[in-house]
Amino acid sequence: MGRHLQVHLIMASGELNSALHITTDAQCNGKSKTLEDQAIDSSVQITCFTEDLHDVALHFQIIRLTKQIYVWIGCNTARFGHLYAAAATQPNNAVSVTSLIGGSSDNTGSGIARRLVLKTGLNIVLACNIPKDSPMVEATAERKLVEKLRNLGYVKATPEGMRATLAGS
Amino acid sequence: MEVISDSSPSTHYPVAHKSISLDIKGNKTDIVICKHDDNFLVMVTQIGCMGTILRARKEESVSVDPTFNVSVVFGKRDVPYLLACARQLIEHISSCGSSRPLVLSLGLKDHSPGTLKDIISAVIDNRLW
Repeated sequence: MGRHLQVHLIMASGELNSALHITTDAQCNGKSKTLEDQAIDSSVQITCFTEDLHDVALHFQIIRLTKQIYVWIGCNTARFGHLYAAAATQPNNAVSVTSLIGGSSDNTGSGIARRLVLKTGLNIVLACNIPKDSPMVEATAERKLVEKLRNLGYVKATPEGMRATLAGS
Repeated sequence: MEVISDSSPSTHYPVAHKSISLDIKGNKTDIVICKHDDNFLVMVTQIGCMGTILRARKEESVSVDPTFNVSVVFGKRDVPYLLACARQLIEHISSCGSSRPLVLSLGLKDHSPGTLKDIISAVIDNRLW
């Protein structure tokens, strides 16, 4: 009756979607939890945290699925904001991003979604309520988010390596 | 076997969420429910990604009976059961007194009515509205 636990590691090896699958028994789960509120399921990992800056509070929620990452970024409030989807598409694995909810005239967050695909190699769905015309908040949010993704091990390739991979394929 | 984990939101983190994992008709199903200020997010996956994303809203109406608008914003647009699932959930949200819209993602191996009924029950049993 042991639960089947699968841990997927995305390795940057020249192939955008290569993955190393490790299967472990639930009793031998050596995964460590971070300090923040993190719920670990066998294939869904949720990380929630808040970064307090001088004049804004940035809230983040990262839901790591096997083949995709969902991120919500909240600026002061818990409003859902605009929703974007981004992925590597043909030709040449160039990254495409589209707004799903909102975002037609104000696409704050679409750049973040696009760059997350470059950094993680996974499909990204991003919800973001950062107000428009706040480039500093947007840049800070992206920096904090990427730092956290790196700590969680979701960012595997260097930006230069990933861009070279995407450009060359 | 059902595993439920609740968020224990600190006073600072404003979004409540709940995640469960259960077996539905032989497929391992992960469900995450989040409560934002202005909507609910329900994510149901059997395939390791969000799959089809739908949006369901209650419309302002002068008549007594509420009307709802359900649409697919990403993914499969030719599976009516997915729309029906979103419709059932938004109606339940409305009947519980909330007029917040719903963003629902369904990444399913099996789109049968039986599976969707079980998903709807599981979401309602663990609802945040």
